[in-house]
Amino acid sequence: MSIPALILFFAVIVLPFITGVIYSFTSWRGTYFAGGEGVLDSFVGFDNYINAFKNEKFLNAFGYTIKFTVVAVVAINIVALGLAMMITSLKRGGGIFRTIFFLPNLLGGLALGFIWQFIFQNVFSEVLFGANGLIHIPFLTNMLQDNTKALFALVILVTWQMAGYMMIIYITGLNNIPQDLYEAAQIDGASSFQQFRVITIPMLMPAITIVFFLTLANCFKLLDQNIALTDGNFNTRLLATQILRTTRDTAPPDYGLAQAQAVIFFVLIAAVTLIQLSLTKRREVELH
Amino acid sequence: MRKRLFRVLIFIVLTVLAVITLSPVGFLVINSFKSQSEIVASPIALPTEWNSGYVLTAAEQINFFGSLAITFIITLLSVVLIVLASSLAGWMIARAKNRLASVMLYMFTAAMLIPFQAVMYPLLSLFEGVGLKNIPGLIIMYGGFGLSLSVFLYHGFVKSIPASIEEAALIDGAGMLKTFFSVVFPLMKSTTATVVILNALWIWNDYLLPFLVIGNAPARTLTLELYFAKMTSGQFGNPWELIFPAVFVSIIPIIIVFLILQKHIVRGISDGAVKG
Repeated sequence: MSIPALILFFAVIVLPFITGVIYSFTSWRGTYFAGGEGVLDSFVGFDNYINAFKNEKFLNAFGYTIKFTVVAVVAINIVALGLAMMITSLKRGGGIFRTIFFLPNLLGGLALGFIWQFIFQNVFSEVLFGANGLIHIPFLTNMLQDNTKALFALVILVTWQMAGYMMIIYITGLNNIPQDLYEAAQIDGASSFQQFRVITIPMLMPAITIVFFLTLANCFKLLDQNIALTDGNFNTRLLATQILRTTRDTAPPDYGLAQAQAVIFFVLIAAVTLIQLSLTKRREVELH
Repeated sequence: MRKRLFRVLIFIVLTVLAVITLSPVGFLVINSFKSQSEIVASPIALPTEWNSGYVLTAAEQINFFGSLAITFIITLLSVVLIVLASSLAGWMIARAKNRLASVMLYMFTAAMLIPFQAVMYPLLSLFEGVGLKNIPGLIIMYGGFGLSLSVFLYHGFVKSIPASIEEAALIDGAGMLKTFFSVVFPLMKSTTATVVILNALWIWNDYLLPFLVIGNAPARTLTLELYFAKMTSGQFGNPWELIFPAVFVSIIPIIIVFLILQKHIVRGISDGAVKG
């Protein structure tokens, strides 16, 4: 009964993954193997990995991805939790807000990226924050032409897009907290902040684990928005874009090098996700 | 009294944030009816005259109905494939009490850590080798990528329902497949809804996989049409009078579906997250 699933799984994931790891040790060129007839003749040991770590574009994308992910994960979580707490505190009207904040999730990263490219270039740079705009904030103008500003532009875009999704998970978590805990705390004279720290956060840990997992994974693997917004110009490539573009940077296309970068990418994601899961899970256990 | 004031304040803050959230979509709509020069000169003003010509031109340029049909078929068949394969597998893994089953569950779960980039080049080269660098191949690929999370969700659900119902059917002489489709599958309705929603949303909007598999072949998905519309004309500055209406028409179908199925989608997402 599980045979269809197993066949799909092996054909689409297991086999390509193993092949990919093997090819990362060869001078694979996509359609042929340089230096010989087949795979066996073109083994180059760790050369691709060494070259990846010597490749300035890859190193830059590596650092940029980590910086972006840290800022974006924090921003998305704060906004999502803030929205969720505000919405659950309302007696009525929460549903319509939930719908509105979720809406950006329906749209693909590419379409959104195109709209935001226009917003950053024309609306932010001129109408709102330009020299003759509403309030002059130089940092918010021409955000797509500068490496650091573009990072924050990308953070604004993904926060706008993903916060609504994470908000829904937080709302479910908040609604699962028994109200009598808060009532008891109020009788004991706990302030709102104390209630937030000793009741909301601990009781919300399962939701926090999931939201961190999802935002970390989504931000690390971000591609569409990166391509639509800056297309990796001004050294703004994220790792996913870098791996995709490596075969275009090199002639003949160096698929071996791209594959080595992809394996490093996998190790990075697997390590970070597993560490995050074990850390937040441990907090969950400690707090219960 | 103070509590009430506080609620009013929160309501106001949320309203402001809602306006900010909707404003990019608002820009999109108003600018879909303006000429290039009007868009650039006054980006946030309402159009001086609502000219639907740009929308029609864009719809034609991105072959709207053709690419909508292709996107729909790809999404539908991929989701059907994912649901069938993963519900059967999830059921079997949950019911079989052997080592193989737990190894399989472990494998499916671990595969969630593999980013697409780690498999994409070998996957394309393998599929090209067997003549599947085309739409059927694309559907099979989605089937594979959608499996992990879906098997996991179905497995979690099956574990929570007693096996006695299916055992009764089996004793009555119904075969495995018949038992599954007449007894088990109908019980899985809520999980199936979650699996359909999570996968459909992602596949519908996906850019990279169709780009790599279909590329600039004539039959393209909506997202691909959008990409090529921007890229081919992008060398002469951004043709906003084409991009805005093109994005606009391409998001109409999904917004309509969302407004109809809203409740299910929201529940699907929270269920998917909580059980995942």
